[in-house]
Amino acid sequence: MTSEPLLRVDGLTARYGSVQVLHDVSLDVREGEMVALLGANGAGKTTLLRAVSRVVSTGGTLTLDGADLTRLDTIGAARAGIGHVPQGRGTFGELTVEENLRLGSMGRPGSLRGEAESDLERVHEMFPVLKEMRRRPAGALSGGQQQMLALGRALLARPRVLLVDEPSLGLAPRTTAELFEALAGIRASWSTAVLLAEQNARLSLRVADRAVVLARGGVARSCAASELSDEAELRAAYLGTTPVRTTAAKRGSAEPAPRDPGTAPRTDTDAEEASR
Amino acid sequence: MTEFIQQILAGLAAGVVYAGLALALGVVFQGTGMLNLAQGELATLSAFGAWSLVEAGMSFWLAFPAAVLLSAALGAAVERVLVRPVEGAGPMVLLAAGAAMLLGLNALIALVWDTDPKTFASPFGASSVGVGEIRLTSQQVGAAVLVLVTMGVIAALFRFTPVGLKLRAVATNPDSARLLGVRTGRMLALGWALAGAVGAVAGTAAAPIAGLSPEMMAGPLLLALAAATLGGMTSRGGAVVGGLIIGVAGSLASRYVPGLGGDLQLVVPFAVIFAVLLLRPQGLFGRAATVRA
Repeated sequence: MTSEPLLRVDGLTARYGSVQVLHDVSLDVREGEMVALLGANGAGKTTLLRAVSRVVSTGGTLTLDGADLTRLDTIGAARAGIGHVPQGRGTFGELTVEENLRLGSMGRPGSLRGEAESDLERVHEMFPVLKEMRRRPAGALSGGQQQMLALGRALLARPRVLLVDEPSLGLAPRTTAELFEALAGIRASWSTAVLLAEQNARLSLRVADRAVVLARGGVARSCAASELSDEAELRAAYLGTTPVRTTAAKRGSAEPAPRDPGTAPRTDTDAEEASR
Repeated sequence: MTEFIQQILAGLAAGVVYAGLALALGVVFQGTGMLNLAQGELATLSAFGAWSLVEAGMSFWLAFPAAVLLSAALGAAVERVLVRPVEGAGPMVLLAAGAAMLLGLNALIALVWDTDPKTFASPFGASSVGVGEIRLTSQQVGAAVLVLVTMGVIAALFRFTPVGLKLRAVATNPDSARLLGVRTGRMLALGWALAGAVGAVAGTAAAPIAGLSPEMMAGPLLLALAAATLGGMTSRGGAVVGGLIIGVAGSLASRYVPGLGGDLQLVVPFAVIFAVLLLRPQGLFGRAATVRA
């Protein structure tokens, strides 16, 4: 865990016109790690992801495996290994499901070209509905199916860091649960790190290793996901106040331990949140 | 009956030129969102280029592919140099850029080759082919085959090749294409190059019949606009079918509707545009965006 982080964000600033939306944001994502990016509406989660994939230009440091990302455009960042499942899915509505997935495979590094077919099968295993509907235009899919398609497509490009923006937005609880189950497994089976921006904090904390809470364009809290499973801690982090149990915070930041989502503690609030 | 069939075939032969231009318009429109009013002028330039090469002693069958390749390069160059800087500026600016290019190219052609009409000898000879009393000139048949083969190649490229898939992806959602590492700028230039090439084939095919003049594509461009509207701007197949329908409609109307000969047959395509816009704005084969609510 002492190695150089895979994705390093340091002192990042971003503005839309005259409005500054990110102030001095710093965070790391390590190889094979899933980091949940939490925060209320307008906290800057989407902007941060868009900054990493170079859709919005920024000030500050941004490196992928030590290489400077700020000098690349969106296309260059994608080719360097940044995958991005944008908010609203961004599928190609007029192309078939199969063609959408094929476009993902075309973006993979040359060394992995030979595995394109077996990877496609793995995506089909993960989301069987994409196989059933492979000849349909993507625009005819339901919201949940499109989200699965967008995720599958991004994975087929074999990114080193996958950015996922609000996957649960507008989805039925059961679909969201299915999607998060898939998300929980992708770090290991696709050997990619994940930065997951999500409003549903309970769900993301259950699958993530670490959490970074954004508030008003800055980092309000950065710790192991398990630390925020306590309701009071989470609320404190969102509000930017001092957490009640400061000892837990110290313990967690020293050594973030990967969590098995299957053994995550469930509370009544959990169930409530998940069924929303 | 014989005459009726004859008129239909003549209409189809004329229609392939409109179909080719309509296809070029559609490819550019889908990629760049620009209705390229200068597409006809680009085709005229190609036809003059081919003519000059033939006049200089080159065989038509060398001059033709050379003109097509040069037109493709010119199309890509126009996208890079003239269109890209104003790309994000909205449809009105793009339309104005197209109109400016139309006037500029028209003046350039008149400057280089002057405005006297020239004859372009048919590369297919002056014979006629047909069954019984139904006759078509070898130029009509040859030109139709040339354009149809070109359209078949373009269709196959879009449908079956990886680069065709990328072209369609960029036309559908350029932002997502960029996130997947598709080089969108390159694809747009390629779309313009393809449109330039198809236009060159249409222009060179039309020249021996219509005669070479700076205005030779003014009428066909309007008919191609009608064809693209009829078939649907977003449907390449639709543009082709639309072109053929417009060709046949014009041919039949000028023969059977009293007083509608000559230039007045241009009324027909506009009646068609008007009717389509009223009844089915997305065109016969165009898709109203398939996005589920």
